[in-house]
Amino acid sequence: MAGLLSQGLTSSEQAEQLRRRLGYDLPLFQQYLHYLGRLLRGDLGVSLYSGQPVSELIGAALPSTIALAGASLLIAIPLGALLGGVAGWGSLPTFRRLAGTLASLFTSLPVSATGVIGLLILGRLAGSDPPSSQTGLWLPAAVLGSAASGPFARAVQAGLQSTRRSPFILAARARGLRQNGRLIWHAARPTLPAIASLLAVEAAFLFAGTVVTETVFSRPGLGRTLVRSILQGDFPIAQAIVGLAALIYVATQVIADGLARSADPRLRERT
Amino acid sequence: MRLARLWLGIVVALALLAPWLAQNGPRDPVASALAAPARGLPFGADALGRDFLARMLVGTRLSLGLAGLAAAIAIGAGGAAGFAGAMLGSTADRLWLWTTNVLLSIPSLLLAMLLVAAWGPGIPAVVAAVGIGGAPVFSRVTRTVVLQLLGAGYVAAARAAGGGRLWTSLRHVLPNALPQLAPLAGTQFGWAFLGTTTLTFLGLAGDPALPEWGAMLNAGRVTLVSAPRLVLIPALAICLTILSVHALTAPSEIENTAR
Repeated sequence: MAGLLSQGLTSSEQAEQLRRRLGYDLPLFQQYLHYLGRLLRGDLGVSLYSGQPVSELIGAALPSTIALAGASLLIAIPLGALLGGVAGWGSLPTFRRLAGTLASLFTSLPVSATGVIGLLILGRLAGSDPPSSQTGLWLPAAVLGSAASGPFARAVQAGLQSTRRSPFILAARARGLRQNGRLIWHAARPTLPAIASLLAVEAAFLFAGTVVTETVFSRPGLGRTLVRSILQGDFPIAQAIVGLAALIYVATQVIADGLARSADPRLRERT
Repeated sequence: MRLARLWLGIVVALALLAPWLAQNGPRDPVASALAAPARGLPFGADALGRDFLARMLVGTRLSLGLAGLAAAIAIGAGGAAGFAGAMLGSTADRLWLWTTNVLLSIPSLLLAMLLVAAWGPGIPAVVAAVGIGGAPVFSRVTRTVVLQLLGAGYVAAARAAGGGRLWTSLRHVLPNALPQLAPLAGTQFGWAFLGTTTLTFLGLAGDPALPEWGAMLNAGRVTLVSAPRLVLIPALAICLTILSVHALTAPSEIENTAR
């Protein structure tokens, strides 16, 4: 607030007026109650910077972020399954090791570094400086998706490795199940609940990842709006976006629990 | 493993020796803008003509230092709260559980961003926010370890012998919990390093000229194609450090891969 005042508003009278209008002269506790009350009525407040309603700003930024997160997930799931499948089930040790290494690299490398390097390669190909902000959807999605595929791959790999030598696979083999594809499915089923609960972690990762990816590629979206609002001291926006992220995160966790339960009958019996 | 240890050793040594190794100030313009690498300027100059090697060297100290401080906050605050919750039990424990549940419902990095939003951008805000963002997870683990130890026979024996709650916890539980928690401190440092460099990359340190790897990676984006070294060098440094920390703190994972 003080920062905003020093930036734009000159008279302390105006500042006092604004304070009163926004309810910032009330005790913190009362401010919080007012905020909760407005929240219940679906009112997220207004931007301190532009005066636009926060819900409008979020609505404008949301589609681009959802497109990015969705495209990343579309890349992450097949890529993770492939890497994990090869690492946990592949017949050639070289390929197994390669897939495993790739999976750990994807898990560890920060999106900021890989994103900038991806942008550099693209810029080199196009030969322009600085690269245009219109990089399309797929490069950012590839960067974010490959990073998100790492944990998937690890879970699939660990699951396949642990079931690979288990008695029920031996039994299936003995019954004459030879096709590799069906045998993999047989081995993969017990790991499905673990992978389903990973979904929630992935949701958290994707949301934090979109913040970085949108900054790297100068894409409009919730993440960039969040960063800008933090730099401008526009707390209502930051609060609403983080709150929305937490809501999505908790919802994904509930969904993931449900998925895990439907994939594993043992979980259903226990509850 | 050996490479990871070597890299971290070099980086820590550079961080300690940075002020003596850097020949120019990290904020002083000493050459023309984007000057190519030359004798005396091995990494060349950045867009404002500052010695890039000097910036990287000072950046080593800042990047590792900020991450270390953030990790220390997470371990100190999270560990202490988890330890106290588990030892005290009843209401304190329930209050603790409730708090961590709320904090854990927000992904750590976003929690850190929300805190920076509340405090305003700046280096102290970034460090404290990443520390608090990482604290709930460490707190949970601490509590689990302590609860397991409380079931051990020697703790019951110490209590039966008349040891008070505080004495038992400091003399018997704490020394046995520390070795189990020590490896997790490394993991926490890796997370803190990722968190601080990400927040500084986003510009949340509030100073675009900050000689810190994340901020430098961001600053280099402007001259991405004409001077790619300004991006590649900090990106490489960040990646190598994170990979090394991961290789040392999760050896089982790497062994799995190698098999």
